[in-house]
Amino acid sequence: MEDSAIFNVQEQWLRPLRCELNVLSRPDGSAMITQGSYFILCCYVNTFLYSYRVHIFFFKGNTAVVAAVYGPVDVKPQRILVDKASIETVYKPKSGLPNVADRMRETIIKNTCETALLSAIHPRTAVCIVLQEMQDSGGLLSCCINAACMALMDSGIAMKFLVAAVSCMISEDDIILDPSDKDLMGSKASLTFVFDSAKKNLVASHTSGVFSQEQYHESLLKCRQASCEIFEFYRSLVKKYIICI
Amino acid sequence: MPVDSRRIQGPDSSVPFMLYSSREKKDYKTVKSEVFKKGLRKDGRKWDQHRKVYLKTSVVTQAKGSAFIEQNNTKVICSVFDPREIPRKSDYSVNGELYCEFKYAPFSCLTRRGHQQDAEEKEFSLILRRALEPAVCRHEFPNFQVDIYALVLQDDGSALSAAITCASLALADASVPMYDLVASVTLGVHDDLKFLDPTAEETILCNTSPRTLQNHGTIVFSYSASQQQISEYAQTGAMNLDCITSAIDILTRACDDIYPLSQQCLVKSVAKSVKKKKKREEKLNRERAILADENEPPTNE
Amino acid sequence: MDAQYKVIDPVKFYRDHLAHKIRPDGRGLLKFRPAVINVDSIGTADGSAIVKIGNTTVVCGVKLELGVPKPEESNIGWLVPNVTLPPLCSPRFHPGPPSDEAQVASNMLAEILSNASVLDLRALCVVPERLAWAVYLDAVCLNHDGSILDACVVAAVAALRTVRLPRVEHDADKDITKVFPDERSSLPITGAPIPTTHAIFEDEVILVDPTSDEESLASGLVTITVQNDQMCSVYKPGGSPLADENMQACLSRARTRAIQMNNLIEAALAARDKEETKDQKLIS
Repeated sequence: MEDSAIFNVQEQWLRPLRCELNVLSRPDGSAMITQGSYFILCCYVNTFLYSYRVHIFFFKGNTAVVAAVYGPVDVKPQRILVDKASIETVYKPKSGLPNVADRMRETIIKNTCETALLSAIHPRTAVCIVLQEMQDSGGLLSCCINAACMALMDSGIAMKFLVAAVSCMISEDDIILDPSDKDLMGSKASLTFVFDSAKKNLVASHTSGVFSQEQYHESLLKCRQASCEIFEFYRSLVKKYIICI
Repeated sequence: MPVDSRRIQGPDSSVPFMLYSSREKKDYKTVKSEVFKKGLRKDGRKWDQHRKVYLKTSVVTQAKGSAFIEQNNTKVICSVFDPREIPRKSDYSVNGELYCEFKYAPFSCLTRRGHQQDAEEKEFSLILRRALEPAVCRHEFPNFQVDIYALVLQDDGSALSAAITCASLALADASVPMYDLVASVTLGVHDDLKFLDPTAEETILCNTSPRTLQNHGTIVFSYSASQQQISEYAQTGAMNLDCITSAIDILTRACDDIYPLSQQCLVKSVAKSVKKKKKREEKLNRERAILADENEPPTNE
Repeated sequence: MDAQYKVIDPVKFYRDHLAHKIRPDGRGLLKFRPAVINVDSIGTADGSAIVKIGNTTVVCGVKLELGVPKPEESNIGWLVPNVTLPPLCSPRFHPGPPSDEAQVASNMLAEILSNASVLDLRALCVVPERLAWAVYLDAVCLNHDGSILDACVVAAVAALRTVRLPRVEHDADKDITKVFPDERSSLPITGAPIPTTHAIFEDEVILVDPTSDEESLASGLVTITVQNDQMCSVYKPGGSPLADENMQACLSRARTRAIQMNNLIEAALAARDKEETKDQKLIS
């Protein structure tokens, strides 16, 4: 447990968030984010030479995404951009081929990361972001964006700002932050917002369902408040990892 | 069946509802008598009468050149793009290439068309290319290809002919160097009957004739009128030699009639663009005068 | 001179124009292009509409087929919306499988139609578990000059409004289906979602209804879909961060636009109905 951080939101706004950096050895940066309840089993495996300690994670009703970043790397000639790095995003669903909905998720993640990166300092290169969905139980898009942001930060590439994604849902009378898939069953609408760390302005927004302009604004404000908690989480995460390095 | 993950999928199998239609199926003889009655066709045309043709150029502003053709219910749109390097080609080619793609829109035919090009559309793309190639000065753009795309919005017979006429006009509109325009007309043959510019119903009749008939089928005929050259002749079905020679005679005359329409359309579009250019220049001069008033010109000290 | 300037430095070209609060095509920053809607123009389709917004042209055609409902949801039919951006419409697209842009547009169209519950899919079911209508909705772009989603959704809604569903009888015991093409009724279409695209230029200036040049230079795009004064999609795929007051202004603007566009659809449908009754009078 020493290389990971658990963040418990005081006011129970968001589900517990857990992030592990550098989970993969080959990419330049990687992160795994899980959001939701889980418990960890620690066990020892004895072989005749070594004794390993193995963590087994039991994810119960949570959303988990692994993100990896390569870059700046070589770029295909047809994708070359003379004035900035080209950002490529690959989203891998849990099983099967990506469908049109995954393609849209990919586009949102790509454009969001493009905004956050200082791509102008790496012209004629590519930054490749790969996301693997592990489990979806609500708030997949926001989890993906947070994971991508953490992986980018882990890779050490220059960024303008960090981004934090928060999802919420509008039920009959109320706005619920970070709903799980069970909560979403009774929702009128679900919304995902992405904020930047500099001015906390809206970077990306995706919604489903029907809602009024006032409800949208209200959700936006609520999610912005919650996004501060995620930025706080990023900070505590970095603090922990600095000790490890 | 491979699933197309790049599109939204419907049911695994679905059939056009007309298959279950409660209307009685007509037998071949009644269809024939209905299509051609007392020397007139269903839409009131004589057998050698072409449908009215409406042509328009520069309909797609994003393309270098484009054209739209309407023959009653057959509607085809065509666009042509700037020459680009032939992708994946290492050796030098003296002549430039034409890349043609012919596609039916999913809703253009009686039964729904798939999104991917099927065998028929691929064959038509090839015919389209062969019909246009002799009319284009391909030596003017070696090692480059010109993309030509034809999309059928609604098919009521003779869509390929319409596409060829339309594409040649679009090429001219894109100022691709050409020897001549190409006009194309389809002829449907059914026994002793001939249908110039057949509708969808007539095409079906011509293509599904019983085997005992000596002459049946359709001919797609492309012709460069000022050069008096046949650029493409595509025939389906079987016909004897006499029939073919008389058909070519009829088709040549029909193409000669279509050709001036393309020419007129082109002249109109040139006149229009000249006028537009003049107007734009006038406007620009006016704007420049205003701007000059606003920002005082820097004075040399 | 103008054209050369645009080619050499398109960003500065736009910056200079926008500084004077005018766009190169002569529009103000918050001015929409004129829109034209024409319905039922494709005879082979079971319902169709052509929408032109400025130069952007989208043709939407509906084809009806019969299929078997999904086993997990046996009492609903199929609505299969797809956006095709053929290479014909813009030099940006090449032949082959649908581009990312087309896939995202297809998904957005499907999401908007389902969010706004434009069509009750239960009405498409003929016999549960046995037979249901499959409504294939294909929006084909003929001229891609920006704000493609706006045109696609409006065209899709207008086309669905023109669909006449034939009466079907299904005998489950004998497995015989009978369709009566002469007895038709319209689809139960409720509401009309109207999207409005905004472009953000250099993090500051907001333009409505951008052309394709403006879209490619923009640092961000926001598409807001409004139905009956309610939002059914606020789609901002990254791009420049937007402050709240700007976002609110965009939302309000989208609401006004929706009313205008709705009127336009109604007018187009009314014009068609008028013509139809005229035709019927002529026949009788």
